[in-house]
Amino acid sequence: MRKTWLTLLILILTVALVAGCGGTAQQSQQGSSSGNASSDTSAPAKDSIVIALQGEPTTLDPQYPDDGNMRAVTDNVFERLMELDGRTLEPKPGLATDIKAVDSTTWQLTLREGVKFHNGDPFTAEDAVFSIKRIIDPAYKSQIAGNFSTIKDAKVVDAKTIQIITDGPDPILPKRLTKLDIVDKKYVEANPDKVATAPVGTGPYQVESWNRGVDIKIKAFDGYWGNKPAIKAATYRFIQEGSTRLSALKAGEIDLAVNMLPEYVDQLPAYKTSDGIEFTFLRFNTLRGPMKNKLVRQAACYAIDRDTLAKSLFMGYANVAQGQMAKPGYFGFNDSLKPYPYDPEKAKQLLKEAGYNGEVIQLVSERGRWLKDGELSEAVASMLTDAGFNVKLTFLSWQEWLDTLFNVEKAPDIMFSSNGNELFDMDRFYQAIIKTGGPQSTYSNPDIDKKIDAARNEMDVQKRLQLYKELSQAVYDDPFGIPLLNLKDIYGMSPKLEWEPR
Amino acid sequence: MKRYILMRLLYTVVVILGVSILVFVITHVIGNPVNTMLPLQATDAERAALKHQLGLDKPLMVQLSEFLGGMFRLDFGKSWWQQVPALGIVLHKIPATLQLVATALVIAVVVAIPLGIIAAYKPGTLLDRILTTTSLIGICLPPFWVGLMFVLFFAVKLGWFYTSGYGTIRHLILPALTLSVVPMGHLAQIVRFSMAEQLNAQYSITARAKGASDFAVLFAHALKNAATSIVTMGGMDLGRLLAGETAAVEVVFGWPGFGTLIVDTIGRQDFPLLQAEVFLVAVIICFINLAVDISYGYFDPRIRY
Repeated sequence: MRKTWLTLLILILTVALVAGCGGTAQQSQQGSSSGNASSDTSAPAKDSIVIALQGEPTTLDPQYPDDGNMRAVTDNVFERLMELDGRTLEPKPGLATDIKAVDSTTWQLTLREGVKFHNGDPFTAEDAVFSIKRIIDPAYKSQIAGNFSTIKDAKVVDAKTIQIITDGPDPILPKRLTKLDIVDKKYVEANPDKVATAPVGTGPYQVESWNRGVDIKIKAFDGYWGNKPAIKAATYRFIQEGSTRLSALKAGEIDLAVNMLPEYVDQLPAYKTSDGIEFTFLRFNTLRGPMKNKLVRQAACYAIDRDTLAKSLFMGYANVAQGQMAKPGYFGFNDSLKPYPYDPEKAKQLLKEAGYNGEVIQLVSERGRWLKDGELSEAVASMLTDAGFNVKLTFLSWQEWLDTLFNVEKAPDIMFSSNGNELFDMDRFYQAIIKTGGPQSTYSNPDIDKKIDAARNEMDVQKRLQLYKELSQAVYDDPFGIPLLNLKDIYGMSPKLEWEPR
Repeated sequence: MKRYILMRLLYTVVVILGVSILVFVITHVIGNPVNTMLPLQATDAERAALKHQLGLDKPLMVQLSEFLGGMFRLDFGKSWWQQVPALGIVLHKIPATLQLVATALVIAVVVAIPLGIIAAYKPGTLLDRILTTTSLIGICLPPFWVGLMFVLFFAVKLGWFYTSGYGTIRHLILPALTLSVVPMGHLAQIVRFSMAEQLNAQYSITARAKGASDFAVLFAHALKNAATSIVTMGGMDLGRLLAGETAAVEVVFGWPGFGTLIVDTIGRQDFPLLQAEVFLVAVIICFINLAVDISYGYFDPRIRY
């Protein structure tokens, strides 16, 4: 036994010694290699940066995939007819300078003049119409076609005017257009095999090279119609592992890293946050079982301490949802709602009133899809247990979880889920999760269904807002579930970088 | 010999066919890839449309026969996720992983074989004990953890290597070193024990008795006889690494290889791509096994095919 310890001790000493020797021997080489980095620091203005994404885009054809890694690149390379205002979350003019509804199903857009594609082609009405028709063509199988499901057709009116025809009144068409990248018709038709790798857009940057597996380089486009960007060139690298992105940032290899964990913030040279689009929530099965009883559901709402979840699990890098799956800026946000207060006594009292006597409540969740989803589910389960619920928490694999989510027959009493709202509009949430028979719905109320459909087609902004106000209040009073947290995106930055997330 | 290799190749075809059918059936029975591919808020109509486009609404036997027909032409179809031919994606990712695995194995062999021989030559000494303990620790350390420690120490603190990425030798060293730890441990152990066994064998004692030098006994007699077990272990490690065990290390180091691709593919339930990967892994493993078996004949002339 003593000999083993001695062996280990000698071993450790040897390792330390070897490491120490290596250190001095290699020191000079280290100095020269980091020389480049340090000269960058002292340079007055660095105009190129390196950005680490979580994965490599699969294609740079911006109309095809549902891929955030690609978006990070193509959002700078392509433009849309309407652009999203990052502050108000409202659409603003992009490649179209004006948009107006001609009648309930026809929108007319005036296009910007003097816009060029990276290859020199002028941007025309033909390009706009082609881009719209391409993305809604079922044969093209765009993964984001669902965003444009209301668009029936598009046509050229004259050189600088187009019309978009919807299959019914669609009040959020301008918002939909902020997701529709405009491609060069001539280029796409002439080079079908280059579209995925050598994209041509009208944006402030053009793609310089894509070295598969290694990086994508973009550079400022000289012929850009708008304000020229301050940063002249950027390199995107692909580092899946969060702690490696952190290391690369600390080692000065990159200037900007996406998706940093709250735990990393202390170690980050600099960082910025922005509100994410995902809202985690618990979905109640209101169709059968113990959660059918409204009082039991309300009890669950009182049992969750949302502030503690945000503070202890996410170190404050999360906002508590305001009693709804939306935040200010989303169309349909109801500013008079507040989350149910944390009141375990009230929860117990409601349970008693409801006549709940310890029936098992199934809580189904999964692990690994969203940040700390497993920990969040465990915390929620223990809060429910403390309030008197007999909770049985089950974790499923992602595939099984999806099957359970979409199959109303398999619906557990409570399901942990998350909902991303890319259009910042409440239509899709209500259609998918509240409306009777919606793909994720375990809720049913004919009055509410009517309002959901009315809101979808209501062209009057005030009337539409009023409908969503009533809807959010209704599913709050007769709870569909518990909106939990809206996580923040954390970006790690080099201290040299000046940048604001959108 | 020719006849043996021919038989083995035939056998390989059967194995690949069996593995492919097994994976096909398992993937098509478990889970619904349409759910994975579409956003959560997609409507039922969108789901049904995609299912039809992918041909997943056809009877399983029809899908299977289409798949097998394609496989014989080496056509696995287009990846659902990337919309390009699946086999091309896989072949594109293989060189980076080969480079990593080859470097790791070279490091492992160069370090482990001499150390193993020394340990076997002087059994029971301090050096022997150090080597046996270290190699055991090496086998037990999870590679992703080793990788993270290497990154923190050699890349962030000392700045000798890059934390991640692909391209130069400064990108290659850390992941290769990380990956070499486990096979190094395996090899050192197997060399140590098989050499010790050979050195205690009758023929070694006889050789010493007739006055052969230590060097001759070690390298001319014992090592060649120990080689069959060393090559077997090396072949197993090589197969394991190529079949996706590099994934954790590739993820930590942002290495654009086959390991990360497999993990991504499984997560996305991209059946055509998964089939192409399984096919290629099966081919690689079969050929490594064949090479190992043929090498036995070289190291041990008693083995004849």
